[in-house]
Amino acid sequence: MRRNNIMEQQYETEFIFKYWLKFKNILIDGIIIGVANTLFALAATIIGPFKNFLPNFILAHSLGITVSLVILFSILIFGPRTWKFFLLITGIDICLGLFIGLQIGFIILRYFFNIVLNWQTQNLGPQAMIAGIFASAAILYFLITKIRLRYRNEMIEREKIKRMAVEKESILANLRMLQAQIEPHFLFNTLSNILSLIDIRPEKGKSMLLDLTKYLRTSLSRTMPEKTTLSQEISMIESYLNIQKIRMNERLNYKIDVSNNIRQHSFPPMLLQPLVENAVKHGLEPKVDGGEIVIKVTEENNLLKIEVADTGLGFSDFDKSGVGIANVRERLGLLFGEKGRLIIEENKPHGVRAIIEVPINGL
Amino acid sequence: MVYKAVIAYDEKELRTYLKKMLAEVWPQLEICGEAANGKETLKMIDTVAPHIAFLDIKMPGISGLEVAKNIAGICRIVFITAFDQYAVEAFEREAVDYLVKPVTKERLLQTVNRLKKQLQSSPEPPVDLAEMIKQLLTSLQSNANAGLRYLQWIKTQHKENVRLISVEEVDYFQAGDKYTLVITAEGESLIKKSIKELSQELDPQKFWQIHRGTIVNVSKIETIGRSLTGRGILKLKNRTDALTVSRQYLHLFKQM
Repeated sequence: MRRNNIMEQQYETEFIFKYWLKFKNILIDGIIIGVANTLFALAATIIGPFKNFLPNFILAHSLGITVSLVILFSILIFGPRTWKFFLLITGIDICLGLFIGLQIGFIILRYFFNIVLNWQTQNLGPQAMIAGIFASAAILYFLITKIRLRYRNEMIEREKIKRMAVEKESILANLRMLQAQIEPHFLFNTLSNILSLIDIRPEKGKSMLLDLTKYLRTSLSRTMPEKTTLSQEISMIESYLNIQKIRMNERLNYKIDVSNNIRQHSFPPMLLQPLVENAVKHGLEPKVDGGEIVIKVTEENNLLKIEVADTGLGFSDFDKSGVGIANVRERLGLLFGEKGRLIIEENKPHGVRAIIEVPINGL
Repeated sequence: MVYKAVIAYDEKELRTYLKKMLAEVWPQLEICGEAANGKETLKMIDTVAPHIAFLDIKMPGISGLEVAKNIAGICRIVFITAFDQYAVEAFEREAVDYLVKPVTKERLLQTVNRLKKQLQSSPEPPVDLAEMIKQLLTSLQSNANAGLRYLQWIKTQHKENVRLISVEEVDYFQAGDKYTLVITAEGESLIKKSIKELSQELDPQKFWQIHRGTIVNVSKIETIGRSLTGRGILKLKNRTDALTVSRQYLHLFKQM
């Protein structure tokens, strides 16, 4: 929370910087301050010691402009980092600004209008100072509120953009999920295997077709964002591996080690499957001797740990695996935040081990 | 004349099936060998010297394309590929014979007829085949590498295991004495790659060098501020430490 506050203030300072760097903003605020100064001069003419408008007008403007500049610069330099500090410094600055502003006003009046006034004239100094302090407070309040308002609007805007980004992300993730589900390569490979098996070994062809059906049914039902259980996920992976087993024969062996208890947990789709597909595609398929895939799910300290280990080629072919694994990481982040982890490490003596960790109460 | 052929296909069932279909559409063709991977194929072609080789593109070890490169002058080649837009386009462009899985009898008949015609006009394989295959290889490889020119994974030591970290997870890289520090939300690890090497290998759209010794993941940047001395100060998402942007790299943030 505290860290957020500091970041917020940092951002606010930057915002003010940007705000004042725009000529339009300075012009608008300048006009408003000018009008306020003139009104102040009118009021001073009516109630003040001088019934002459001109000196009041000149003094009000030299005071107002100096004080505004002083406030402007103290905002720019100190920023609203800590308000107490800022107010203290600004207060001192305002007094200084009043003094200088009034002095400038006297000089202008003397040189341009031949009106000689000074601090002692009819107690002008103290009166002007007191009036000036109130006026300055008004200016300060005006500028700060205006900036704050602008800032708040911008924050709302920013929040909106952030929310839109999250929404977009989830839509994209869904889309990618759909695209990733059935890879045409896999589908056509399987179909061509089934086609060839129908004539030669119809029994095997039939079982492959059943596995494909099961795989497709689970895949396609995923278009709905329903919760699936780990058991469904595992059975889909079993059919996937069965299909691949027919293709790759003795080059692919697999073992799935999940207790019945754990199978009942609900589990988001498209997390485990890409890891298994990756192990087949980039681990075992390119390896002449093939190897084994071991899937193990354990439960510990409220964490579900899913391990997919293969004895394939290892990291050398891993560079090609881009999208699938990146999707898993992204989805883990969307679903579980920092609590969902994906670890990819060496499986000794060869191969890759991918581990997903998710909080059970977050499922 | 009896023509000889070999079938190189890593899937046993499909190999059998292709053999059976070939026997139907071209009974005179003698299948004198079957291979399941690239190495076996090369050896077999060496010993039996076939007229035609049916080559599966995706074989373990040495791929079908690599095999083709080596045998281009020795025999005619028919590639077998699964559904793959790019490959098919490349085959069409280079006018190479190919079959798409699942192989149908009609398609096989077409290919066989063409092969027969070619073999009758000249029993030797065309000289320019080698060149065609080379073209094919480069175009297919450049396609496969298109999205992966940049560094994707970083190998780090974690206890006694080697781990892969996706570059997307990295917050920033910081140069150390001998090693480079990789900083992620999970912690820090050391790698041997220098900042200079990393700056060349990482995607410049996603990673910016902001200092002589620092490369930052752009997607992790939260805000940029300015210090009184004119350098930039970066805040990263979910991190408390701030990074300094030296003046020569400040232009990167101009548009922000």
